[in-house]
Parts: sequence; structure tokens; C-alpha cells
Amino acid sequence: MSRALAIVRANWLTALSYRLETMFSFLGLFIAVVPLYFISHALQPMMANSIKAEAPEYFGFLIVGWIGLSFVNTAVTALHGALSGEISTGSFEALLSTPTPVPALLAGLLGHALTMNVIRATVILSFATMFGLHIVWSSALTGLGILFLILLSYLPFGIAAAALVLGFRTTGPFPAIVFAGSALLGGVYYPTQVIPSWLAKMSVLVPLRYGLKSLRRTWLDGAPLSASFADLGVLVGMILVGFVLSLSAFTLALRYAKRAGTLAQY
Amino acid sequence: MPTTIDPVTPPISEPAASRTRVAVSVKNLSKRFRVRRPFIETLRHPFDQKYMQALNDVNVDIHEGEFFGFLGANGAGKTTLFKTLATLVSPDQGTVIVDGFDVTTHAADVRRVLTPVIADERSLRWRLSARENLRLYAVLYGLPARKVAARVDEVLEIVGLDPADDKLAGRFSSGMRQRLLIGRALIPQPRILLLDEPTRSLDPVSARTLRAFLREEICKRLGCTILLATHTSEEAFELCDRVAILNQGRQLAIGPADKLQLEFGEDHYLLRTRTADHPAFDLLARRAVIGQPVIRGIDDEGWVRMEVAIPGGPDTAAAALQQLVQQGVSVARFERVELSLGELIQRVITRKAGGRRE
Repeated sequence: MSRALAIVRANWLTALSYRLETMFSFLGLFIAVVPLYFISHALQPMMANSIKAEAPEYFGFLIVGWIGLSFVNTAVTALHGALSGEISTGSFEALLSTPTPVPALLAGLLGHALTMNVIRATVILSFATMFGLHIVWSSALTGLGILFLILLSYLPFGIAAAALVLGFRTTGPFPAIVFAGSALLGGVYYPTQVIPSWLAKMSVLVPLRYGLKSLRRTWLDGAPLSASFADLGVLVGMILVGFVLSLSAFTLALRYAKRAGTLAQY
Repeated sequence: MPTTIDPVTPPISEPAASRTRVAVSVKNLSKRFRVRRPFIETLRHPFDQKYMQALNDVNVDIHEGEFFGFLGANGAGKTTLFKTLATLVSPDQGTVIVDGFDVTTHAADVRRVLTPVIADERSLRWRLSARENLRLYAVLYGLPARKVAARVDEVLEIVGLDPADDKLAGRFSSGMRQRLLIGRALIPQPRILLLDEPTRSLDPVSARTLRAFLREEICKRLGCTILLATHTSEEAFELCDRVAILNQGRQLAIGPADKLQLEFGEDHYLLRTRTADHPAFDLLARRAVIGQPVIRGIDDEGWVRMEVAIPGGPDTAAAALQQLVQQGVSVARFERVELSLGELIQRVITRKAGGRRE
């Protein structure tokens, strides 16, 4: 754990040394919330009926969907992005030369992006609250826990993408497909019941669908965690299967890269 | 099997008692890599494979406290060997034991005793200070939290970067960055240190300073076993107790640096004379005291630079010089020729081929 935190700390200090970039990234969030507010209010009469099972207002529905999707993005893209950077600078080799276990290295590489995402989510929620979003703040921590489960459910895709980088130096369209598929079928911008039936069948395979339903119930309706047990159960099952498969893929990719001598080549 | 001059001779600078323990043992190590083929060729013959032999039956035992050099041109297999030792490349054949641990089955244990100095400056975190760079690796190497700060201070002092500890690594000179890379590898107090061409990006003055630092501080004072990969024969013979010469993955020769230098580089001498056509040269050549002289050039003042082979060591060379002078050859300069790496490798190969014919 301390080793992963040390990498997070180093990445954090590096990111903070680019002060202007950090400042602009937060400013950009504020600018993004404003159009979302006006669009959601314009669409509110049309969407009210279809979203009522998940959220009282379309603005809240969109904001929670957006935050959930940002965690999906972090889980799917941050790890292979960080890994590519470390490989191309030669520091991945330096990291692997230490006795640090590979899972700790992966956690460390992901940690900074995750921390930034938590901060961004907090900033988005704060801005959205200024625009009238109603959040049940007593459920804030439970919601964070659900967000963490969403992240874990997508992390196997991120680990698989990192395995592709290790083995083939490219992820191909894999992360984009996962991200776009989740955005379209996961209930981010509209509830899954409005999707055509043949597509809706595919959406049962999308972890975000279960995570967002639970998150909206918790944050926007203040429902207890027990109300989301069924959805969260599916999510946990997906996490377990996903981790077994993706860690096996990563181990194989690492072994292949050591055999092929490509660990530090980009 | 490679030409082994004296495989069990311990490092010259160490006392006999400390020379017995083997720190690194490489037995019959071979490694080959698949060669990437052009796209069209891959389509036409999808199942054909081409391989490049990076290491071919390498055998070496390196003793504790030894400064050992691997000398070879680019593509000789030095880096592959180092990456295998550092558990970053898995061997195809053979065994590699580091401090009693097999690199294949006990990689984590190997990484606790052996650290490679990753020579690529970009592997440093340029936006972090020297102290923060070292602090990160102190934690990654598993140092207890309470000892991290003290160890970082200690290493900064060893590598002479304590006055610049809070300066960003990106603002360091190349020499300072090399020191920081070495410092990073010293953090866990490794018993074995791998240095892959540490002076390649340095100017001659910084390179000389770094060599002295490696020899005096790291090897002698800290007692590290150092494995150095270099393509500079001067560096290998100046720094190392023993040297192995690698060429295209094969280990051509191994032995104490001074003996290797003597064995393969002793018989060529450069002399400056005004009387290159003096009959004494022919006379001594006919008697096989010297080889046939080769003129290398004439300088502005009319002195001729000649290279001549004199087999038999320094005493024979001194006697030959005496005979030339006694017979009236004017000699302004007489010195042994320092071999380039290419010439050295060529001589080792020629000597081996000769040995086989015999």
C-alpha cells in the first residue's frame, strides 16, 4: 500500500508542478456544467416520465451519469496511458527493477488519475449544487462507495488495455469501444428502458447500467443501500470475473514481454 | 566454449580471503529474439520466423566485491545479459544465479540484492527534485518509513548531490543526472550494481570523474560488486578487475583486465623515426625479432610514424628498441599501441581460430 501511495504522491507532485494546466482543468468543469444545466432544463418535460424511476429531475440524472462515466473513463484509459508513458521514458523498467509487486505498481499508476477524478466529481457536484441540483448529502459516502464499485467493475478493462500495451504496444480500439458502449448502453444520458429492445438486451452486459441505477437512487432519492442490493450484486459478480480474467491477461503479457525483450521498448 | 584465460582468478584488488564467494553465476546462458519481418513477407510466409541470437552459451562467475566488465560493440549482448540479471528479460536456456537466487524462480529476491542503473536519463522524474526522486524509490525498495529520509540524505551525500538536493532533476547537467541515476540504484544498499554504459552521454572530463567515483566510492568504499557494460576498451581495462569480451552474443574471452590487455595488445608498438628505410628494420624482421613495419604517416617535421609488431612482451620490445638504436635508427618516440575495441575483438577471434587449427 505504501508503495502504491509513493507512486501516487510522485505523480501528484509532478502534476501540481504544471499549475496552469491543473487550474484550467478545473475551470473547464465549471464551463461544462453550465450548458448541461440549460440543455437538461429544455429537455425536462420530454424526459420527466422516462427517468422518474431513477431521478426526479433530468439535470440530476445527467450530472450523476456524467460523474459515473468519468470514473469509467479513468478506469479504462488511465492505466494504459500511464503505462505507455512509463514505458516510453524507460521508468517502467526502473519500477519493475524494484521488489514492488505488480498489483501495487498498477494501483500506484492508477492512483493519481483516480484521485483527480474524485476531486473533479466533487467540484462538478459543487457547481451543480450551485445550479440547483438536489443531492441527499447524508448518502454522499454511500454514493462514493458505489462510484468505487463502478470504477472496480471497469478496471479489468483498463488492466486488459494495459496488457495489450505491454504485449503489442497498442490498445487498438478496445478502450474506445468499451467507453462508447458504456456511454450509449449504460444509461448515462437516457434511461436504459428507452433503448430499442434488441440493444437493451446487450445493455445487461454493461456494468455502468447497474452502477448508475444504484447511484441515482442513493444520491438523488436518498434510498438505502439495501434498495440497490440486486444491482450491486451483479456489479460485484462482474468485478470478480473481470479481475480474474484481466490479471491473468496482464500476467501473460508481462511474461511475453520479458520473453520477447520488449518490456522497455516503445 | 569461450577462450578462458583464467576463469578462477579472483579480482586483483581484493584480498584472497574475500574472493571465494560467487556473487553472480551465469551458466550456459542463451537468449534469442524474434526478428520483426516486413509486412509483405509476413503475409506471404506467415509461419516462418527469423531469430537473432542475442546471447550464445555465456558462462561467467563474478566474485563478491569485484569490478567486472563486459566489453563489446553494439549488439554484442551486453544489455540483454544485464536485463536478464535484472529479471527484465527471461532466459531461453541456462541458469543465472544472483547471490544464491535463480533469476527465473526467485525474481523478487534477486531484485532485493541487485539493482540496475537504468542509464536512460528520461527514466528520472524531471519535474521532481533529486530528493523526491530518491524518496520515491526508497519506498519502492521497501525501506521502512522512518529510515527513508536518513537514507536519502546519505545517498545524496555519497553521489555528491547534497548541495542540489531540492533542485529539479530536469535542471541537472547530464553528469549530475548520471549521479542521480546511480544514487537511485544505491538506495536499497545493493550488493550488486549493474552499470550499462554509464559514461556514454558524458563529456571526457565528466566521464573521467564518474569513473573515479565508481572505482573509489562505490566499489572500494561501499564494497559493491559492480558489473559494467561498455564498448570502450579503455574504460574496461582502466576500471575493471576482470573483463569478458562479448561479440555477437558469444563470450570470446574472459580474464583479468591487465592480462587480457597484455595477451591481445602487447605486441604492437608505434615509433617515430627519421630513418624509416634503415636496413636495421629488414635485418630484425628477417631474424623474426620484429614484424614487418607499417608506415602510418609522416608529420610536418619529416618524422615517420611506423607501427611494428614485437612479440614477446615489454622486455623483448626494450631489447629490440636497443638494437635499432645501436644500429643507428633515430627514434623520437616508442610506445605500445592502445587497441581499439574492433581491433581487440579481431585479434581475439584470430587467436581463437589459430588455436582451433592447431
